Amino acid sequence: MWLPIRIDEQRPEPLYHQIEVQLRGLILGGQLQEGTMLPSIRELAVGLKCSAITIRRVYQDLENEGLIRTRQGTGTFVAGVETSVRDEHRLERASEELERALEAGLQLHCTFDELEGLFRDLIRRKKDSKEGSS
Amino acid sequence: MTTNVTEAAISWRGVKLRNEQFTLGPLDIEIPRGMVTAIVGPNGSGKSTLFRSLLGLEPIREGEATALGVRLNGCEDESYKREVGFLPENPYGHENSLTADEKAKFASGLYPNWDWEKYRKLLRHFDVDGSVKLSKMSKGMRRKAELSIAMSHDPELLLLDEPSSGLDPFAWKTMLEELQRYMEPGDRTLVLATHILEEIRRLADYILFLYRGKVLGLYEKDRLLDDWRTLVVQLSASGPGIEKLDATPGLQGLTEAGPGLYRLEVDSPEQGEQYCRACGFQVLGIQRMELEDILSCLIRKEEARR
Repeated sequence: MWLPIRIDEQRPEPLYHQIEVQLRGLILGGQLQEGTMLPSIRELAVGLKCSAITIRRVYQDLENEGLIRTRQGTGTFVAGVETSVRDEHRLERASEELERALEAGLQLHCTFDELEGLFRDLIRRKKDSKEGSS
Repeated sequence: MTTNVTEAAISWRGVKLRNEQFTLGPLDIEIPRGMVTAIVGPNGSGKSTLFRSLLGLEPIREGEATALGVRLNGCEDESYKREVGFLPENPYGHENSLTADEKAKFASGLYPNWDWEKYRKLLRHFDVDGSVKLSKMSKGMRRKAELSIAMSHDPELLLLDEPSSGLDPFAWKTMLEELQRYMEPGDRTLVLATHILEEIRRLADYILFLYRGKVLGLYEKDRLLDDWRTLVVQLSASGPGIEKLDATPGLQGLTEAGPGLYRLEVDSPEQGEQYCRACGFQVLGIQRMELEDILSCLIRKEEARR
């Protein structure tokens, strides 16, 4: 099974962290449904060109968080996730993305007021286009 | 995978191997069980001697070596050898007149775990005709046949000396798939000597780095890749000079990349970056390093020490 996980060579985070964040995101984001069988440790390691030690660590962490389950002899599966946890993750992810956009704006020497104005404009335009099209 | 990381498949303690031309050691390392360890090093660094000692072909007169819980002393009992699979760097001339099937027949008598079904599957996957004499096969074809034979008793410990030499890219890919399958149960240990970095990237968990008969280190591959980074640093005309760069924490290599522009290879990137910024240098970029660059950096360091 192929997973849409990719290593960013520029990021400072260690490999296990990058993989863990993305796999957690796939589960909490609902792209990986409950009961989906994940690749074996060795398979994912070969696919991502990292070591089995790294993948084992990722699987152990996610198992401790209750996001995946390992059934002896059969494999590793995605566990059920409560809606509240999903929602929390959704907002967390959106907040991170907004923060990144905010940082970019500040690097371009925009003031907070300017950025807030831009953000309100964008929301208004999006709303209009959505209402217009429906 | 239920393997305990700390469990060693092979351990060397104070081992020195000597023959007329060459001394290898002292070796003080443990190869973890259930993992893939790649042995890398320039030609003549001692890889083949290391393999020979694991096969009981080199007497161990200094230090203590154990593999699969058996103490190696140059005359191992048969039960140990049954659990080991080996692919030598060069084929044995005395086997030239055998067909692959005849060699397999011979091997099946040595290994109680021999599995004809597995052997046939491997030959089919590698697209090898077992009825052809080994000497009549192309180099790559023979390699595939011999690899199949080395794996057909599903050994606990598989030792491969330059397994991919002579293989075309398709056969190489098949080999990676078969080695991945071999490792799948989680309790098998693979040690391979290789020059092919892509093989190490895809397969290895650990890298044992040999150089001129010395162990430069046994590294967890991902630790190496996580720890080593290139920093690109811009010096300003008014700021501190290059001599400050020499004191960068974790500095392993320093090259000029343009006017006032330097490329630093560091193995503690966070401290390195903080230091550079604190000195007033502009850090233009930080990037992971390629395995070959890390390895050549380690060699350069060893050369400088000599």
